[in-house]
Amino acid sequence: MEYFNPGDLNEAYEILMKYGDAAIPVAGSTFFMGHREELFDEVDAVVNIKRLGLSYIRLEKGRLCIGATTTLAELHRTGLTAKGPFRIFAETVRELKIMEVRNAATIGGEVCIAGEVDMPTTLLAYDADIVIGSRNGTRTVSMSEFHKGYLKNALQTGEMVIEVQVPEPGRRTGGGFAKFERTAADLPIVNAAVRLTLGRGDRCSDARVAVGAATVSGIPQRADAAEKVLLDGTLDDERIRKAAAASNSIECVNDFRASAELRTLWVECAVEDAIRKALTHAGEEK
Amino acid sequence: MHPITLNINGEKHEVSVRPHWSLAYVIREKLGLTGTKTGCEMGTCGSCTVLLDGKPYFSCLRMAIDSGSYAITTIEGLDADGKLHPLQQAFIEEHGMQCGFCTPGMIIAAKALLDENPVPAELDIREAIGGHLCRCGTYMRIVKSIQKGARIARGN
Ligand SMILES: Cc1cc2nc3c(=O)[nH]c(=O)nc-3n(C[C@H](O)[C@H](O)[C@H](O)COP(=O)(O)OP(=O)(O)OC[C@H]3O[C@@H](n4cnc5c(N)ncnc54)[C@H](O)[C@@H]3O)c2cc1C
Ligand code: FES
Ligand code: FES
Repeated sequence: MEYFNPGDLNEAYEILMKYGDAAIPVAGSTFFMGHREELFDEVDAVVNIKRLGLSYIRLEKGRLCIGATTTLAELHRTGLTAKGPFRIFAETVRELKIMEVRNAATIGGEVCIAGEVDMPTTLLAYDADIVIGSRNGTRTVSMSEFHKGYLKNALQTGEMVIEVQVPEPGRRTGGGFAKFERTAADLPIVNAAVRLTLGRGDRCSDARVAVGAATVSGIPQRADAAEKVLLDGTLDDERIRKAAAASNSIECVNDFRASAELRTLWVECAVEDAIRKALTHAGEEK
Repeated sequence: MHPITLNINGEKHEVSVRPHWSLAYVIREKLGLTGTKTGCEMGTCGSCTVLLDGKPYFSCLRMAIDSGSYAITTIEGLDADGKLHPLQQAFIEEHGMQCGFCTPGMIIAAKALLDENPVPAELDIREAIGGHLCRCGTYMRIVKSIQKGARIARGN
């Protein structure tokens, strides 16, 4: 196995192209090192992508731009994502209780894993775009199109994720995130992210409900039925419960972490919790 | 093999590594610093925690080859001038361990906390060790030990 530590993007792209599918970019290495024997046995070239200048969080033309190697700890403590309209990011990180993983794991790593991780669920609820780079230039894929099935994503040979972009939420918009896990050190069993916008008369004018870690498809999914219940209504207790119950349209996976039945119940609980949090935050936003 | 230099507890160590070797493996097996423990080697127990530039990381999930540019601190680097670190002293006084396997990781995580927040609330302490398992179930005494270590470090 060879190791590369490129100092700029073009150099990284060249190596990724040259080694093709036998090369992988590595950022925080928390997933790579934990799975190197089962999943990365055939890898010939490890490309460290932490010196490419991709650690940043900034607002550009009404979009939040997060560099791929920005760590979860940075998302948790940086003003732009810790408070205000994008605080859902810090709130998502807060639910990952392992400080050592927060210090190492990156948003790019999270996004690339179609499986039991939290950030893709939040990104789906926030209509995020994933910016992909390679020797041939850049292209953008929406979060809803980026995951292709359990541990599969839209990256082609020679490509890597360079940035995550999130449109600035409109006025009176709030987000909420909730999850279930067995222990602090385990992966999520169910997570849910919700984004709500309040319109005239406090009626819900826009809603996103995303559920992850629990689905049969292995990737985060929108709970369309729950969104329909929320849209155009006043968000009283009854409607919130009805919307949460409607999220049982999501087909849940049965595995050693939890049965499909239990997950279905917990999806409902997580969605209800996330709706309530989103509503509180939406009410606070001017 | 790739030659690297690791800066551990203020001392430079020259060592040749393979890209997939973890920092935990190199520290323990190549450099003989066995104070750092490895339990799960997949990020779920916390016993391998070390500091890189003052921040805690699981050394089992870190590539050794990517650790050369940091000041690494392991449990062996905590005592100074023949005196135990306040946290080490406190773990002894408060019986913060039974078998002691989780202790180096707990103390390293606690040091990172105290360096940033010398007066932590109990919740801060619980959060700081959120990724650490103690198979002996000594959690209550570990929290007490960290509280006492913070007091000793502050001089009261
Ligand atoms: C014990 C434990 C518990 C955890 N619990 C949670 C949890 O509850 N919630 C949660 O959200 N996360 C959790 N995580 C983190 C999560 O599982 C991954 O480990 C983490 O998101 C990976 O990030 P990384 O930067 O370390 O990725 P790496 O390990 O560096 O890479 C992961 C994968 O993505 C690829 N990759 C990385 N960056 C890029 C890029 N920019 N472009 C292309 N490909 C790339 C790599 O090739 C590799 O295949 C946990 C981790 C551990 C060890
Ligand atoms: S050995 Fe590293 S976390 Fe368990
Ligand atoms: S004291 Fe035995 S594992 Fe914690």
